[in-house]
Amino acid sequence: MGAAVAAWPALLRRERLFYALVLPFAALVLVFGLWPIVQSIQVAFTDSYTALSPEPVWVGLANFERVLADPYFRASLGRTLLYTAISVAVNIAFALAYALLLGGTLIGRGNGLFRLAVFLPVIAPDVAGFIVWKWMYNQSFGAVNTLLASLGLPPFGGIADPATVLPALVVAELWKHVGFYTIVFLTNMTLLDPALDEAARIDGAGRWQRFRHVVLPQLRPEILVNTVYAVIQFLKTFTVVVVMTKGGPNFQTNFVSYYAYQKFDEALYGEAAAMATVLFAIVIVLAYGLYAWGERGAPR
Amino acid sequence: MDGRAMRLSRRFALGAALTVGVGFAGAVPAAELVIWHDLGDNGVNWFKEVAEHYRKVDPSVSITSVSFPTDQWFGKVIAALNTNTAPDLIFNNYERVIRIQTQTGKVMDLKAELPKEAGFLGPQDLQMATYKERMIIFPVQRVQMAFGARKSWLEKLGEPFPATWTDVLRVAAKFRDGDPDGNGKADTFGLALQAAKPRDLIHMLDLFTFGSGLSHTLVDPSGKVTLGEPCHKTVLVEFLKAFTDYGLVAPDTVNHSFGEMYQVIEGKRAGMFRVGDWNVRKWDTPEVLGGDFVIGTWPAFAPGDQTAVVIGGMRGVAVPENAPDRARSLAVAKFLLGPEAQKASLKYVGASVRSDFDMSDPGLSERRLQFAKPRHALEAYDFPESIHPWYPEVEAELHKRLLAAIAAPPEDWGAFVDQLAVEMQALVDAKRKA
Repeated sequence: MGAAVAAWPALLRRERLFYALVLPFAALVLVFGLWPIVQSIQVAFTDSYTALSPEPVWVGLANFERVLADPYFRASLGRTLLYTAISVAVNIAFALAYALLLGGTLIGRGNGLFRLAVFLPVIAPDVAGFIVWKWMYNQSFGAVNTLLASLGLPPFGGIADPATVLPALVVAELWKHVGFYTIVFLTNMTLLDPALDEAARIDGAGRWQRFRHVVLPQLRPEILVNTVYAVIQFLKTFTVVVVMTKGGPNFQTNFVSYYAYQKFDEALYGEAAAMATVLFAIVIVLAYGLYAWGERGAPR
Repeated sequence: MDGRAMRLSRRFALGAALTVGVGFAGAVPAAELVIWHDLGDNGVNWFKEVAEHYRKVDPSVSITSVSFPTDQWFGKVIAALNTNTAPDLIFNNYERVIRIQTQTGKVMDLKAELPKEAGFLGPQDLQMATYKERMIIFPVQRVQMAFGARKSWLEKLGEPFPATWTDVLRVAAKFRDGDPDGNGKADTFGLALQAAKPRDLIHMLDLFTFGSGLSHTLVDPSGKVTLGEPCHKTVLVEFLKAFTDYGLVAPDTVNHSFGEMYQVIEGKRAGMFRVGDWNVRKWDTPEVLGGDFVIGTWPAFAPGDQTAVVIGGMRGVAVPENAPDRARSLAVAKFLLGPEAQKASLKYVGASVRSDFDMSDPGLSERRLQFAKPRHALEAYDFPESIHPWYPEVEAELHKRLLAAIAAPPEDWGAFVDQLAVEMQALVDAKRKA
């Protein structure tokens, strides 16, 4: 114990350049990353009317009790989890399919153009993209229903119908985000060991078998990273709701982030922070759980 | 400016100067007073002109206004008042200042400060400025909202301005089906409404309710829910049917808030809509509606209804108790009731609380004059939140129930409203007990 303590100054001396370089960024993370989170959690335990005052009134778990007793919050949480599950599955599946298509030889000429096309929505401004989607889903003159009508198909309710609004948003967000996950897969596919594929081919493995037993296991770390990132992203879904649906119709897209924002808008800071804290806890637990699960099953 | 207005102007100027003088005997250091509002460019230009006029009264004071989006205004004002970093003055709708007061308790009681010359403020104006027996604002701008219709569309389809709900239904169907804009496409709607956010739907219902002469949308001052009463029931059922059975609004209206509603109106796709006094200046310009609309009272739902233009609010100026320079803030607040500031208010924002000056000066159009010198009956909101502290929660619940009904329309609207009234009464009773 004593020797270990004595070794610290030597370690600091030896690595002082490292610590000197890291210190500013660590400070930034503390001040702009962790401190606001701590403050936000703190607000969740205060009375809304005094939350922003120098002497807030502490109310213990009252905000959490109120939030958890609110049927609209429980419904909101359920819709958020459902939306996240669907969006994560769809995005990862499409990204993998895109990556295989763009990483293979099927598209020869123009491959670069397709890669650019799939990634462009990621760098396009969120709000502008979702405004276009909102216009496309418009029930009176939107492109989607114009296309369906020209094909003799019935109209799609889009974001105006409680029954179709969830898939409508999943599609809009798929357009927005799938490029990012695709690029992660594509980049790592260039690092795959070609000898394994070659060996499987010589052994007579078909296309599906090679994908299932050779490619997929090698991409497991990227699938895990993409999944965790997607879970975090879709649990916090906000912009698409603000721009396209405002939580409607009939609260079908009243996801937790948006509901908390509405509470903030009504100056119910305590309840809003309690909702945000619940969501934060879910994000942490799910992200950590997924990592742990992925690590446990990873080949050694 | 006529003689009376000139005399009043002098009195206001004198009063303002005296207030400053009492607070600052001797040498007066220069000061910059800051007003936080949410009126956008119109408000910024209005306060700029007010500042120029005020400089003649007190050259040591300059006035700067900062406009925030409404939600940001709330957050900033509440935080500033609670942390003793308040601006000199805040300006907004009465009900928003109520919220500031309930969340901070630091909005000054202006009752003793109201200038004696402010006789142009009626009892309704003063009632709207008062919350829990405190005058939390000086009323500066009446917020009037009328019913509007596209003039050229009415002429093309040979219809007069709709006076009754039956007229509205007939005209709206023609607007929807009769290609009133002549572009050969079925892309027009009878009405522009909004239903996305909690306040959107109730706000529109308020207009139809008060505009037809009723006094309460949901609950009366004694706590009795009014939804099930025959007149209220008719308005509510017909209002909900406009979204559903009648199909008079754009199908996307369930996702429409103010921004989207304005897009429908200003995009020339709706034939009838709400016209706020602050809308007219913009809608008179050739780039928007070019003045191609007529305004009037809200439709009558039953014979004998006393229809009206609705006073949907009162914008006013409030002084934070912890304002850095309260004496000067008060002087400027009083100055906003003076004729120069009021005339400039009409010019830039389209609303005022007085009209005892030459109206030709600001150069108002016929539509703006209808608000500036109302010839129609006015019916004010009842502002139940100033009587019942639990009202916002009950109203939010009503909004949720109405949205659910629009999403899945009931077979029998009458039975739905009866049941809704019973449930809302139970909720109100529970809130009152709590």
